[in-house]
Amino acid sequence: MNCEEIGELLPDYLQGRLSADHARVVEKHLAECATCGEEAALWKKLALLPEEQPSPAMESRFKAMLESYQEGRWEKSSLAAEKTKTPVPMLWGLGNWRQLPAAGIVWACLFLACGYFIGNHADRGTDAAAQLQINEMRQELAATRQTVALSMLQQQSASQRLEGVSWTTRLPEPDPKVMSALMHTVRFDNNVDVRLAALDALSRYADRPEVRRELVDVLQTTQSPMVQVALIDLLVDLHDKSAMPQLRRVQQDPNVNPTVKKRVDWGIQQLN
Amino acid sequence: MANSMSDEELMAQVRSGVGEMLGLLFERYHVPLFNFYLKLTGDRTASEDLVQEVFFRILKYRHSYRPETAFRAWMYQIARNARVDLLRKRRPETSLEPEMSPAVAPVDTAQQSQEARLLHSALMQISEDKREVLVLSRFQDLKYEEIAQLLGCEVATVKTRVHRALQDLRQIFQQLESGKALRGKGPQGRWPAPGSVQ
Repeated sequence: MNCEEIGELLPDYLQGRLSADHARVVEKHLAECATCGEEAALWKKLALLPEEQPSPAMESRFKAMLESYQEGRWEKSSLAAEKTKTPVPMLWGLGNWRQLPAAGIVWACLFLACGYFIGNHADRGTDAAAQLQINEMRQELAATRQTVALSMLQQQSASQRLEGVSWTTRLPEPDPKVMSALMHTVRFDNNVDVRLAALDALSRYADRPEVRRELVDVLQTTQSPMVQVALIDLLVDLHDKSAMPQLRRVQQDPNVNPTVKKRVDWGIQQLN
Repeated sequence: MANSMSDEELMAQVRSGVGEMLGLLFERYHVPLFNFYLKLTGDRTASEDLVQEVFFRILKYRHSYRPETAFRAWMYQIARNARVDLLRKRRPETSLEPEMSPAVAPVDTAQQSQEARLLHSALMQISEDKREVLVLSRFQDLKYEEIAQLLGCEVATVKTRVHRALQDLRQIFQQLESGKALRGKGPQGRWPAPGSVQ
């Protein structure tokens, strides 16, 4: 065998994946041919490069991240409780509130509103009126949260925008303004993590036809492969066959990222 | 008990919301991932940042993990994407960002043999796509089939690339050895332009 033919077998030989017969042929050649012999020797020599250890800071950073994730989950579960309309967990969410700089003013307003309602309540004192006031307070709170969420989505820092996205998830019933801000974030935010978080938040409302339509449109227009992959997964999860034409268009796009291509192939297969 | 669980089982737990299980995956993979990035970029700080980014993304995209797929392949997919995103983000600003160019020498130079240092230099000088398959197959113990899947190409292409990588490595290594003999010095200042990265 010449060097070229041996070259084809060499990678498998180096990973020890040749049959004994073939391995013998390669070894014989390596012993005779200096060039090929050196190549094989270099592979072994690479073992001289030691496995390096990262700094201990890395582990603490990871732990901090994991912790904040777990806290995030706690928030989500409190949101789930809020949806069952028990008023107590609603106040829970307020705990973190004062820490937000953007929320300073609205927080003060909320206190005023509370004072006003409590005052009124004392005056009137009927159960029906109290219920009405609680409902009004709820609306007020939702409106305030919405303001905070919208303002945070426009912050310079990516982590604040992420925070903004997570605020939108605390809204019981996000209005079109919030939806369109989130959609804008998915499309245009320059940070991939923020884009994905926004997509995650929007996917909660993917059962709404207008949201679904926009998301399918994003699939085609976005330049972000990560967002595309997440979208394909979402459409598969939703068993949304109506997105098939768009998926096919992505599949046939010659410029599509190879990972996205693979994912879309898989997605189409799942939906069929 | 959790320690004996497979990567896939752990990831399935993470997916269903048991975040702690990611700690075990971190224990298993943060050093290999760090070495993957370090051998690709030669930059410790960037490598640590990227490892952090990978685990962040694993959490973020946990729902996109399919339990029937190999966790390692999925993780390396994320790892490659994280790096591509980082490169894309940085390139428009300064194409000669120091951390994107290979490090001059590994940190523990003093303890390393001359030969290992030259080898490291040579590895840093072969083209990025060849270095990647070499690192994946030699140091990360990925099979060629896994690498092909990761890169979205044929297995034969991966093998050819591994072979070409070794050919280039041999040539550069020899040049460095003879250059060193001539000048009696290390190869500092002979790095290729970082624009050669993909």
